[in-house]
Formats: sequence, structure tokens, C-alpha cells
Amino acid sequence: MTHKSQSVAYPYFVVSLLLFGLQVLMGLWLATNYFATVPQAIVDAFPFSTARAFHTNLLVLWLLLGFMGATYYLVPEETNSELYSPKLALIQLGLLSVTGVVALVGFVFGWTQGRPLLEIPRPLDFLVVIGALMFLFNVGMTIIKAKRWTMTQGSLLAGLFFLAILYLFGIPFYRNLAVDWYYWWWVVHLWVEGAWELIAAAMTAYMLMKLTGVERRIVEKWLYVELGLFLFTGIAGTGHHYYWLGAPKYWLAVGGIFSALEPFPILLMVYDTWRDIKHRKEPMKPKLTWVYLVGGVILHFVGAGLFGFAHTLPQINYYTHGSQVTVSHGHLAFYGAYVLLNLTFYYFAIPRIKGFPGFEYDEKTGHTGFWLTALGVLGMSLAFAVAGVLQTYLERVQGQPYMLAAQPIRFWMFVAFVHGLVVLAGVFLTIKHLLTLRPAAQPATA
Amino acid sequence: MSEKLAKIIFWGGTLSSLALFLALTVDTHRQFDALTHADRLDEQVVAGKRAFEKYNCNDCHTILGFGGYFAPDLTRAYTRLGEDAIARRLQAPEVAFADSFRKMPQQNLSQQEIADIVAYLRWVSHIENHDWPPQDSTRRWKRSTQNLLASATLSPGAALVKQEDCLACHKLGDAGTAKGPRFEWIGAKRSAQWIATYLENPEKLAPGAAMPAYAHLSPEQRQLVGEFLVSLAASHGR
Ligand code: HEM
Ligand code: HEM
Ligand SMILES: [Fe+2]
Repeated sequence: MTHKSQSVAYPYFVVSLLLFGLQVLMGLWLATNYFATVPQAIVDAFPFSTARAFHTNLLVLWLLLGFMGATYYLVPEETNSELYSPKLALIQLGLLSVTGVVALVGFVFGWTQGRPLLEIPRPLDFLVVIGALMFLFNVGMTIIKAKRWTMTQGSLLAGLFFLAILYLFGIPFYRNLAVDWYYWWWVVHLWVEGAWELIAAAMTAYMLMKLTGVERRIVEKWLYVELGLFLFTGIAGTGHHYYWLGAPKYWLAVGGIFSALEPFPILLMVYDTWRDIKHRKEPMKPKLTWVYLVGGVILHFVGAGLFGFAHTLPQINYYTHGSQVTVSHGHLAFYGAYVLLNLTFYYFAIPRIKGFPGFEYDEKTGHTGFWLTALGVLGMSLAFAVAGVLQTYLERVQGQPYMLAAQPIRFWMFVAFVHGLVVLAGVFLTIKHLLTLRPAAQPATA
Repeated sequence: MSEKLAKIIFWGGTLSSLALFLALTVDTHRQFDALTHADRLDEQVVAGKRAFEKYNCNDCHTILGFGGYFAPDLTRAYTRLGEDAIARRLQAPEVAFADSFRKMPQQNLSQQEIADIVAYLRWVSHIENHDWPPQDSTRRWKRSTQNLLASATLSPGAALVKQEDCLACHKLGDAGTAKGPRFEWIGAKRSAQWIATYLENPEKLAPGAAMPAYAHLSPEQRQLVGEFLVSLAASHGR
């Protein structure tokens, strides 16, 4: 840490981690609904739909808070100046946290926009927009005052700006369902396969520069190529969600071709990481930070690239669309790409914020937390995948009614639940480890 | 690779994809009205959409394949189930799904809201979306039914369906009315035995259903009708 104001990132990390824990708990409850019979009285009071709104909104909220915290850490260092207003950053965190809590309580009482992932009611959307404006203003003023522009912070900021603009398309009420979903994907797809990829590429490039000591010129040159390919494939690739919503047939070709290319920029990110490691000027320490960084880059490719490609061609998607196959990909992609990205950044930034000697920390339970979570999510995603292939065959190919086809799937949802327990244990250890991070015991050779 | 080439890749890639995407967006808007039959999108349909959102139906059910995967897709619910069966599920889910291992919440919808949602699902069911989902594909229903009707003269069950005028409320292939569930769907879901028992007294197995009793048919005749419906499913997929 080179500037005092970077430490406003810390409370962002803390709040986001608590929300992460709650998100995973809700996931277990969702899986329970799948394999057990929940009695009518409980279903009436707290239906699956409400729990799902909790699970997904908590995910999005904590990831966004993580990105914002990371930006507040990164920008002062990149501009070589203090943050414009650390106080405004804290007010913003308070505003967004309160909005989140009100939204969750509201869901329980049926206050909802009723559109998946965008359930936050419109008056609260307004507060979210204010929070986003405070954020962009704060960061923008910092950069303008410092008059120092780097490619890395530029792409991070472009990603966050793009993200905020796209959110607006999710706010109106659309009379026509097909138009509704058309713009829903401008938020959801153009986030995770557009704006957020810019953020991920920038945060990864920044950490690689700091951790390996590889020259900025080289890292940033490749960052341009990564971003260019992400946006080239990702923007028109939105078409892979337009196959069956009542849009013209050319989307089958456009969506299929462009989205089939989406794995390449992710692969380039894997390659760039590997190259920077090869040319590193510093030792690969602390080990756990590296486990997270490399694990994240690889699982980003597996979850988004491979699992995404598996069902992106229209010939396959016709049968898998909106099934547990989608759930399998959703989990591994979000975890591999964005959960691990944020956690890597926390492990990178917290020792610096707290000023640990050599930025090293006591890693022990952190490793257990990583492996339990990673293997748990992987196992869970594979169980969802088996359930999805079964559903595809029984319901879509054979033509069995939904609830008949759901019978044999119950077992696999139970398997997913069991892996979910492992995830919960891992996430609990990870949160606890991060929130109580201690400096490493005396370095042996010091 | 030079820095200049890297920047060219960035701007070239981003702008070309964006231009294509925006151009197709404009064209898609030009075609949406025809593809979704916007001329039938009246105020009741919009009220149905609002009710659908108010009760967050979409976080359990997919529609057009989007949403929660916990309950059946609703894109073609209207062609599959018909008006009465949809209304009954909304009115009294605790009764309609009493035997199901998965429940739907009782959310106390008003009669108006139920009628609006039915109108909404009717409109949605006509969206032209390249025949998705496969399990509700009318093209597939029709092909299988045609095969079957070719031999229907031989089937006593089919003759009874005709004699009792079941298609005044149910759909079969192109024929019939979407008041009750489609016969191909019932056949895939139920056994011949279940259907035979149901025909004798629907109230017993599905309280509140607007389905008349066929107790005047003999048990053998009812069994024949059941076997006929189940045979529809067999030719559809398996
Ligand atoms: C990190 C990046 C990604 C994340 C976080 C992600 C996440 C998701 C999620 C959550 C959904 C389900 C949305 C819903 O209907 O509720 C989804 C759908 C989908 N994703 Fe991704 N995804 C990513 C990248 C990719 C990539 C690179 C591809 C293709 C190569 C891809 C292909 C698909 C397809 C085809 C669907 C639609 C599935 C269906 O028809 O039901 N995704 N993704
Ligand atoms: C104990 C761990 C977890 C369990 C058991 C679990 C289970 C579930 C279930 C059952 C659903 C509902 C699928 C449906 O609509 O039918 C769901 C949705 C979802 N979960 Fe999880 N989850 C867990 C953790 C996570 C984590 C760590 C993430 C993020 C990386 C995540 C991201 C999502 C997303 C994005 C969706 C929406 C999926 C879609 O629309 O395709 N979940 N989860
Ligand atoms: Fe996508």
C-alpha cells in the first residue's frame, strides 16, 4: 500500500464476505427444495422463488462490492495520488449495504420486480444508481485531479462504467415479453461476458504486474489484445441467448459463431498469466495468493470457456436451454471467473493494507479453505451437469412431462447438496481466515 | 506483436462487433411485432404480465426458457394445459399439487389476476420462437398424432373420444379446444388405469376441475379411452 486512502477498500471486502456466506447458505436451502418435499405451509411462507432471489442477488451484490473495493485500492496506486474522498466511499458502502438489506427483507414480504436476477424493486434501483454515480464520481475525480492515466485503470474503469450504463436497461417495465428478455440480457450477458471480463482482465493484469515484477509495457500490450477479443466475441455473442425468444433466425448463426469464439480470449488470459510467471523477477510468494490466482485463471477457462462452449451452439442449446445444464455452467463460471478473482484480490490487498512485513501472512487454514471450496464447487457443478443431461434426455428428447422427468434427478440434486456442504465448510474457513489474517510467523531466513 | 497492432485489435474488434450488434438490434425490433403477434398484445395481456411479475412466478418457472428451473417451463403452458387447468393450479395449488413431491405456494390471487395470467400465457404461447421447447413442440405433436389418426378407425378408444365429444374441451393435434389439457400431454403423464378412474369421477382425483364425469361409460370403455391416451404419448417420443 502506497497511499493511506487505499484502506477504504477493507470495509468493502468485509461486507462482501459476510454476504458471500449468506449466499451459500441460501444455495443449500435451494438444493434442499429439489431433493426433499418441503411442506405446503413452509412453501407458502418462504417459497423457492424468494430464496432464489436471495441467492442470486446476494451473489451479484457481493461481487460488485468486491470490484468497487478493489478499484478503490487500485486507483490511488495507479494515479499516484490519494483518493478524492475516502469519506464518500464509506457513505457509498453504507448506502449500498442498506439498499441490499432493504431489498432482501422486501423479498420476504413480496416486494419485488419479479424478474429473475433483477428482482430489486424499481425505487431501490434508483438508490443503486445513486451509489454507482457516487462511485464513478469519486474515482473519476481522483484520476482527473492526478492527471495520470494508465491502461490498467482505464480498462477497469471502462468496465465499471459500461456495467453501470447496462444496468439501466434492466429498469423499465416492458410490455412485450420478448423485448423484455432481449434487454434483460444486455444486463446479464453483457455484464458477465463483457463489462466484468474487462474488470477481471484489468485486476488480473494489475496483480500480475505487482507480484511478478514484469514490465507494465508488456502486460498492458497484451491487455489490449485480451480486451479486444473479449468484446469482439462477447458483444455479438449475446446472440446465443436470442435463439428461442421470438427473435429473427439470423441470431442462430450470429450468436452461435461469435459465442463459440468466446473461449479464446479466456485462453489468452491463461497464456498471459503463464508467460508472466515464466518471466517473473520476484519469487512466487505468498504461495496461497498464487494458488488463488492460478486456480482462478484455470477455472475461469473451464467454467466459462469449456462449460459455456458445451451448450452454446444452437443445435445443442435447443435441447439444453433452461435446464440444469445451465445451472451447472452458471455455478462453475461465476465461481471460477469472479468469486476467485475477488478472493485473490483480497489475499493480495489485505496484507498490504494491514502492512504485514513482506506482505506475507499465515497461510495455513487458507489452503484448506481454498481446496474445500474449489473441489466442492467442482463436484456440485458436475452433479448439476449429470442432472441436466438426464433432464435434457428425459424431458426434451423423450418428451416426458417435467415432473416425471424430475424424479430421477432428485438423487443428483442430493449429490449436489452434499457437495454444497463441503462448499459451505470451505467458504466458512475462507471468510474466517481472511477476516483474521495474521502476519506470517518469523520468516526463517530473516 | 507491436503495441500499435494491439491497439488496432482492440478498437477494430470492439467497434466491428458493436456495429453488427446494434444494426441487428434495430432490425430485430422491426420484426418483433410480427414474430410475437403484438396485435394481440392487449391490456389484459399486459395486466397478466404485471401479475406474473408481482408474484415472482418467474423465479420458479422458466418462460421462454429463462428464469428458475424449479418448475415446468410456461412458454407453451397454454397449449399443454388449457385454460381450466391453469386457472385451477393458480386458484388452489395446495389441492392441485397435493400428491406432488414439489409444491407451489398459495398466493391468494384474485379472480381477475387469474384471468389476466391465463390471457398472458395464451399470448405467450403464440410467440414464434423456432419451435422451442422441444417437449411442447406442436410440430412434433402433430406428426405423431397424424400417424395415429391414420390408424384411428381401428382403435375403439379413439371412437369413444369422438362419440363423447371430448375435443369440445381438449386438444389433440390440430383439433380441439384449449380448455382442458392436451391429450398427448395427459397420456405422457398418466397411466391408463389412472385415466379410467379419473373419468368415473374427476372430482375425486382433481377437486375443482371443470371436467364432467363419465360414469355412464363402462369400466372397460373407460380403460379403452385411457389406453388410447397413453398410446398417444408412446408415438410422440419413446
Ligand atoms: C465468466 C463468464 C460467464 C459467466 C459468469 C456465465 C454465467 C452464466 C449464467 C449465470 C447463465 C444463466 C443465466 C440464466 O438464464 O439465468 C449463463 C447462460 C449461458 N452461458 Fe454463460 N457465463 C459466462 C461465460 C460464458 C461463455 C464464455 C459462454 C460460451 C462460450 C457461455 C455460454 C452460455 C450459454 C449458451 C448460456 C445459455 C444457457 C441456456 O440456454 O439456458 N457463457 N451463463
Ligand atoms: C452450497 C453451495 C450452493 C448450492 C447448493 C447452490 C444451489 C443452487 C440452486 C439449487 C440454484 C437454483 C437453480 C434453479 O433455478 O433451479 C442456484 C442458482 C444459482 N447459484 Fe447457486 N448454489 C451454491 C453456491 C453458489 C455459489 C458459490 C455461486 C457463485 C459462484 C452460485 C451461483 C448461482 C447462480 C448464478 C444461480 C442462478 C443460476 C442460473 O440462472 O442458471 N451458487 N444455486
Ligand atoms: Fe452469455
